[in-house]
Amino acid sequence: MGSSSRLASGGRINRDRPLRFRFNGKDYQGFEGDTLASALLANGVRVTARSFKYHRPRGIVGHGPEEPATLVELEGEDASGNRPATTVVLCEGLRAHSVNCWPSPDFDLGGISQLFARFIPAGFYYKTFKWPGWHLFEPSIRKAAGLAAAPATPPASGHFEARHAHADVLVAGAGPAGLKAALEAGRAGKRVFLADEGTEAGGSLLNRALTISARPAMDWVAEAVAELHGMKNVTHLQNATVWAYREHNLLIVNERSPEQDNILERSWRVRAGEVVIATGATERAMVFSGNDRPGVMLAASVQAYVNRWGVAPGKRVALFTNNNSAYAVAADLAAAGVIVTAILDSRKNVPPEALELVPDLPVHTATVAAGIFGHKRVRAVLAAPVSGGTPKWIRCDVLAHSGGWNPTVHLWSQSRSSLRYDEGIAAFLPDRAAQTCRAVGAAAGDLTLDRIVDGGADLPYAIEPLWRVDVPVQRGRAFLDIQNDVSVSDAQLALREGYSNVEHVKRYTTGGMGIDQGKTGNINIIGTVAMQQGVPLPQVGTTTFRAPYTPVSFGAIGGLREDSVLFPYRHTPVTQWNKDNGAVMYEAGARWRRPGYFPNPGENLQEAVNRECRAVREGVGVYDGSPLGTFELKGRDVPKFLDFIYSNVMSSLQPGDGRYGLMLSDDGLILDDGVAFRLDDHRWMISTSTGHADAVNQHMEKLLQTEFPGWQVMITTVTSQWNNATICGPRAREVMQALGTDIDLSPQAFPFMSLRDGTVAGFPARVVRVSFTGELSYEVNVAPRNMAALWDKVMEAGAPFGILPVGSESSHVLRVEKGFLSLGHEVDGTVDAYDLGMGWAMSKKKPDYLGKRSVMLRRAGGATRRELVGILPKDPDQQIPEGAPLTPGGHKQATEGLVTACVWSVVNRRWVGLALLENGQARHGETAHVRLRDAVIPVTVTEPVFHDPDGTRLRS
Amino acid sequence: MSYDVTFQRRGLDALFDLKGRAGAIRGWAGDTLPQLPDRPNTRSSGGEVEVYYVGCDHWLARAPLDQEEMLEAQLQPATCPVEISIVRVSDTLSFFRVTGPDAPEVMAIACPLDLHEAAFAVDAVTYTEMFGLKALVLRCTGGFEFAVEQSFGDMVEDYLTRATV
Repeated sequence: MGSSSRLASGGRINRDRPLRFRFNGKDYQGFEGDTLASALLANGVRVTARSFKYHRPRGIVGHGPEEPATLVELEGEDASGNRPATTVVLCEGLRAHSVNCWPSPDFDLGGISQLFARFIPAGFYYKTFKWPGWHLFEPSIRKAAGLAAAPATPPASGHFEARHAHADVLVAGAGPAGLKAALEAGRAGKRVFLADEGTEAGGSLLNRALTISARPAMDWVAEAVAELHGMKNVTHLQNATVWAYREHNLLIVNERSPEQDNILERSWRVRAGEVVIATGATERAMVFSGNDRPGVMLAASVQAYVNRWGVAPGKRVALFTNNNSAYAVAADLAAAGVIVTAILDSRKNVPPEALELVPDLPVHTATVAAGIFGHKRVRAVLAAPVSGGTPKWIRCDVLAHSGGWNPTVHLWSQSRSSLRYDEGIAAFLPDRAAQTCRAVGAAAGDLTLDRIVDGGADLPYAIEPLWRVDVPVQRGRAFLDIQNDVSVSDAQLALREGYSNVEHVKRYTTGGMGIDQGKTGNINIIGTVAMQQGVPLPQVGTTTFRAPYTPVSFGAIGGLREDSVLFPYRHTPVTQWNKDNGAVMYEAGARWRRPGYFPNPGENLQEAVNRECRAVREGVGVYDGSPLGTFELKGRDVPKFLDFIYSNVMSSLQPGDGRYGLMLSDDGLILDDGVAFRLDDHRWMISTSTGHADAVNQHMEKLLQTEFPGWQVMITTVTSQWNNATICGPRAREVMQALGTDIDLSPQAFPFMSLRDGTVAGFPARVVRVSFTGELSYEVNVAPRNMAALWDKVMEAGAPFGILPVGSESSHVLRVEKGFLSLGHEVDGTVDAYDLGMGWAMSKKKPDYLGKRSVMLRRAGGATRRELVGILPKDPDQQIPEGAPLTPGGHKQATEGLVTACVWSVVNRRWVGLALLENGQARHGETAHVRLRDAVIPVTVTEPVFHDPDGTRLRS
Repeated sequence: MSYDVTFQRRGLDALFDLKGRAGAIRGWAGDTLPQLPDRPNTRSSGGEVEVYYVGCDHWLARAPLDQEEMLEAQLQPATCPVEISIVRVSDTLSFFRVTGPDAPEVMAIACPLDLHEAAFAVDAVTYTEMFGLKALVLRCTGGFEFAVEQSFGDMVEDYLTRATV
């Protein structure tokens, strides 16, 4: 297809480099330097999209990120959705199609919804979804509306990257003001980070035919860029949008075309000493009937297509404006050979300097556009005198309109800096800065080049605001937000229904909530609200500007975080052995990857767990206990510190001895459980649960730094200095002896809850007699450098005794059989020690300890408590889901507890469980009921211990 | 095009965590350790032993692994005075080196700290983050060195491989 609208010359495109591309199934050609939008216009494609809600035909409206109408979905390796066609850089072989239409935007079956438009006004879904149930409507509405789907597969090659950067000065925008600011900072030796969303620097100068010191303005741009590139202290990025301004001058930049071929996009998190906002200004739309028809375009965009891309969007162009800038557009169009059929200006008096630019063009003052003739393309505009005279049709194939200019204050506002309304330019301007930032150039309201760069020549800016055309001859809808199909009547409806605040109007109508963030229309919504309410526009105020300024790929935000590094993971030296031996691995607290179980070929989870549990109960097993949190404490005040943070007494321990204890939080609930051992007079070692190791460390440090700064307690985390293989089971002692150790293993010399240093299997070791399984256990701690070798030796020495590796599933079963508590199961943030039947751990001797007062106060209230009990299903083969509720009689009533754990007990040959049950300790022997969705399971309430209740085996 | 950089996961070093008043540590350690750095987040060295100032009354001594037993014997963690704490922590950290012309680029992917020479001097050492993990970062010849908790070593290696592919 030929380039029917391409001008014979001009534009910043490389005509020697043609590019083939495909759009909606048809092949076209463009040039290097084109965007998809400019190439489509050059090829005479006018209907490029269908609207979000009513499926009205739409064309290209803008030329940059403000584009509200034409969103496309890219196909192939570059697959991505909802990209404004104006921001898609054309490349060889690019494939794209319009979103939200079928089979094509020219003929879209969804267009039938236009017939029902009056029945689906603003907020219709809020009303529709109320009755008889929104699930009934949701699927069809979702299908009819909506945008592109997320790509089904990740990019075929390359990866995203996120990185940090630091700068003395960050400049957002490389237009004339941004370049000037970057030059000044760079010359002063500051570290400058300059980012601009365009493919090349220059900003508005790329689109306009302006001069600086009587030379083309782009010459000045080229010189500025060259100078910046010569500065080592300057980082200059193009195709990089500053899309978020966070606290403490943290800004986030999305770089879409990094130099590295293998990086798809890069996200920069830039911390800046000072921020210069040079984001320019955005032209706003005029609000009149038919202002969404294909061929109705922003005037500055028409100018950009002519000057920057060498494309004439139309052969006969009419303009509609309320300000001076459209006159420069008209002049550029005329210079390019385009017929300008009329300039409609709503102002009665047009400044002479504007008229001087277009001496030979027909200017209709005090005239507005009141309608568009044409459905899929503009054929004429209805020119209506503001005073109410006779309207007339003026032929044109493009209507270029300009409602004035809004300083692009998105970043400024995101920084929580304030705005003020300026009557002179009828727009909101940056006011008081909340962070170290300043706005310059058009972003600060300086809308002409002469106010920004010395020697710049420009037409003075003047405007008389027109928030919407309000003449009686209007025909059809007038849109405030083209992307979300929000019309003037929608805003009026919202106001009639009581949504008087502009934030409410926004949410009720969805105006400004599209991915364009209402760049062209938001102020018209504010103006319409002001007109309707009869109040000054500043009184209405703006809605909140939020990040992202333009759409950002999730991939760029995530950076490298995908696949195996999506979440942190931790390994022990035995991890590889576990994998090599068929363990099913998963996370088991604090990001540790641990073996869940070790299935033999053909064995399921339950069979494997039963086998492992039998080994521990009848023979010997070993598990990798390295992830347990371990801390060494040193100092004169450690004993009283431990007495304060544990509910029982620790200070009485003798060197080599240890004690199990509970740590309570301020509110008397259980924070953690673990053991404390005294190494010598002033050195102690404590262990915590795996998942709470960091929390306990933080808890201790916080207490020492805020409550007891004078106490001499020094804490060193040694979780990763000590790995441990825990050998457990009736034959554990025999395995220890087979390993070879200089420690006397006899129960008398090395009793339960004691610690000995020595060597095991030739390695320096610290052996601890604790038990989480209820069996004789030796926790053999060695340095991680020796752990893998120790593990091999344990497996070798244990082989004659049938030793098996034990995963966390079996550990869970073994502890449930013993009624040992587990954080996250029985300890759920609501229970105290008494609830768990562990009142013995609440010291009666100590005058005070953390959490004591809260526990006593709460229990003094006498309220019913949920207490730990054992449960035995009446049917021994009945498994109960963990977390299942207990209700009185199994009836549909408020719960009286929940099942915290239920396991198949190899020693009892039946399912056994633990539960928190109201007044549970007084209800042993009673029948309670587990209520499921489709069944009630009766259970017998018992003591929460199903194996060796006296602890004979673990002390053996 | 990928980054012009090399990363290396290092073997163990001898590491001793030192806590307490500088004078007390100095008094106990004698000539075993170099002069303790007196400015936070800096380091000092003497022979093959380095000392990092990593917190209030908190230092980390580092030496080649073959000096671990000698240092242990001289520092005597188990019998040092009550007012100081010395704990062998050699196995707790996994050290990595990132070197080459693009080392700052790769470090910027992982680390939010400003590592520009104007902000992070040659003798700087500090705890910060690498890939979201607590990490000790310092300069080395031709680039940077950092350490993370040992159990995260495999993950960091995974990350670095992805960053430099």
